[in-house]
Amino acid sequence: MAHHIHIVKVHHLTLSFPTRKDPNPKPVLDDVDFGIRDGEILGLIGNSGSGKTMTSLAIAGLLPESASIVSGSIKFAGKNLLEMNPKERRAMLGKDIGMIFQEPSTALDPLMTCGKQLEEVLTAHKDSSMTPEDRHKTIISMLGTVGFATPEEICGRYPHQLSGGQRQRVLIAGAALLKPRLLICDEPTSSLDTVTTVSILGLLKDLCHKLHITILFISHDLSAVRGFCDRVMVMKDGKIIDKDTTSDILNNPKNTYTAELLTNARLDTRILGFEPATVDYSRSPVLTANGITAGYGRSLFERVKTKSADNNILHDVSLEVFPNEILGLIGSSGCGKTTLIRSLLGLLPHSGIVNIKSSSIGAIFQDPVSCLNPAHTIKWHMAEALKASDKLKAFAGSGTRAERNSRILARITAVLEECGLGAEYLLRHPKELSGGQRQRVAIAMCLIQEPSLIIADEPFSSLDASSSAELLKLMTDINRERHTAFLLITHNIHIVRQICPRVLVMDNGRICEEGTTSDVLNDPKSDCTSRLLEAERQIHGV
Amino acid sequence: MPNTHKNRSPEASAFYTAGLILLGIVVAAFIVSLFWTPYAPDATDAASKLVPPSLEHPFGTDNFGRDVLSRVMSASKYTIFISAAGVAIALILGTVAGIPAGYYGGFTDRGIMLLGNSIMCFPGILLALVAVAVFGPSVTNVIWALGLVFAPTFARVCRVGTMEIKELDYITHAHVMGVKPARIMAFHIFPNLVPQLLPATVIGLANMTLFESGMSYLGLGVQPPDASFGKMLSDAQSYIRVAPWLIVFPALMLVFYILGLYFISEGLRVSLSKGGK
Repeated sequence: MAHHIHIVKVHHLTLSFPTRKDPNPKPVLDDVDFGIRDGEILGLIGNSGSGKTMTSLAIAGLLPESASIVSGSIKFAGKNLLEMNPKERRAMLGKDIGMIFQEPSTALDPLMTCGKQLEEVLTAHKDSSMTPEDRHKTIISMLGTVGFATPEEICGRYPHQLSGGQRQRVLIAGAALLKPRLLICDEPTSSLDTVTTVSILGLLKDLCHKLHITILFISHDLSAVRGFCDRVMVMKDGKIIDKDTTSDILNNPKNTYTAELLTNARLDTRILGFEPATVDYSRSPVLTANGITAGYGRSLFERVKTKSADNNILHDVSLEVFPNEILGLIGSSGCGKTTLIRSLLGLLPHSGIVNIKSSSIGAIFQDPVSCLNPAHTIKWHMAEALKASDKLKAFAGSGTRAERNSRILARITAVLEECGLGAEYLLRHPKELSGGQRQRVAIAMCLIQEPSLIIADEPFSSLDASSSAELLKLMTDINRERHTAFLLITHNIHIVRQICPRVLVMDNGRICEEGTTSDVLNDPKSDCTSRLLEAERQIHGV
Repeated sequence: MPNTHKNRSPEASAFYTAGLILLGIVVAAFIVSLFWTPYAPDATDAASKLVPPSLEHPFGTDNFGRDVLSRVMSASKYTIFISAAGVAIALILGTVAGIPAGYYGGFTDRGIMLLGNSIMCFPGILLALVAVAVFGPSVTNVIWALGLVFAPTFARVCRVGTMEIKELDYITHAHVMGVKPARIMAFHIFPNLVPQLLPATVIGLANMTLFESGMSYLGLGVQPPDASFGKMLSDAQSYIRVAPWLIVFPALMLVFYILGLYFISEGLRVSLSKGGK
């Protein structure tokens, strides 16, 4: 079988980051040994920090300067990559090995049109026989291949004029232009919504067959791997602990860690034992929003250019959140979910009424990297949250400064512990925490203010399966024990189905469907709900 | 992840070492001069005019018979004091103006930046010279003039950094928690500007020293009989053929100080840009 010719052979690769203090640290990659067969799609899964990205960077030759390869070799089509000089390796990059990154918004130069950037790819690998017209033709046909209906138009656009999914397509087109033999995709879909993810995965699979490209697909999203990869490898702590065909790994895992990963990925409340509180709808809601209309201001130039008055993103949105409730809000990207919560939090001027029953609402955001201030310790963050709320006096009470401080510290420690972080985290800085831990600190900062409602904007999307499961458990625990209501914005319908008694569906700045979760998701009445459900079905291969 | 421990690159270490050695020479001269100089810096000695460097006068003497080593040591005091005080003023003014400009944007931003840009559109040294000429040459006036001239540079660094940081989630979060704007600027934004302000401060010190020397050279800075590097250079000009040591030693000290600062700022740049994300 042609399938068994290895295009890449990684042979007992060990890699570490030695420092002057610690010349022999724990390796980041530990005796990694695998082959990628010609023409296959190989999935590489594992939690964050397991070494997936380092493996791909090692193959592409893009390792950070401080990394050192302790032992092992990487062979690409028979040639040892580690013995080649940097010039030869650079020539291979793009031509033989292509790469697609996670974040499509920063991978394109904002000052160059898409056509120009794609042309750059062709001119960088000089092929003197090509005239500019030839290059243009190649680019147009490639943009057509990646699914653009009007490639000429896309060519002249700047990156900011494209959506996330379109940008990712342009990047894929750029990678495929040189027809590389191996395409490394590092979490290409994790910042995209379900509908776009499905189309991008379909496109990659298509390219794999049409152009005979081998794909190394790195992801922490197990559902994306399911219908897409031929074989899957599981990584943990820099080691490959399991590899097999996709169906074997995902349907009857033999390794206990793989099984645990799968359970977490399923986020199944029955297995994990989460249970949200029951909601009493007769009580008055904690948050009432009525007829919210909001949008972003336009520049003077735009106002002159297009006369239309309507630049609003939200149109007459009304919603209620009841005490104890976890209200789900779903919708494809760009439908106005984030604008809605910005309006609810009072960060964006809007018309309409927002009524909040208690003094504070908490918020947690999508990106765990920027949710905490890198200049301060966790203790400072907690103290700051307490100071900002009007609860400080109540907790500190009277007495000397030392007494008050010790009471505040006790309170901070208690809340952190509730969120699963021990006292040893008090003096750490955000950069020493993982993404999941940072999100938990963000929740703890909300909790210390004792809000009646916490708005969570896609808190799971950049976390791996295990951290998501832990965060979800924390949220349901808080909901049950403290009776805090949540407004959960997510594109993961699976989570909504399990913990939200009620759900709202948004489309184009309007709420197009509202009702109990089982009603909405089992019997969708609007087009956009069915579209979301259809995409979810495809991705889970159900 | 790697690099959780302080892991200084060898490149940065080399810059730091070189910078600290050069700077150390000047600072050591300054500290010693506070307690002791071989001779009184302004004591003249008619018997030993323009004596070349010898054991008695290691750096030689000038046309009044004053000991050059003593004068160089006491001159370092003014150089360090004026540059430090001037940068402190510029830093405080720049931060206080730049952070609100970046944070609020709109008219606040335009107003503050208009002021800053109108200072910046004149050559700095010209503006400082005019200010000193109007208010009279004295060390205090030089410090204020240089502080004002340099403030817009720091304001710009702060403004741009603030505009970047205020869009991040932790600032939004602080906002949602109900932290007041002044507190957000002082405790949430400012500490994150330090990595950008630090190299700017060091470069500012070096540039300010050059300005101060230039002004003293033109006679508008430190006034006689006090010694300053710029003044010493301008005095030595007429004796350059007969007594080159009058030029060499103050000039060397000036070079050491400025080069030392540049090396340190380069080291800061290398280590901060690699360590920080």
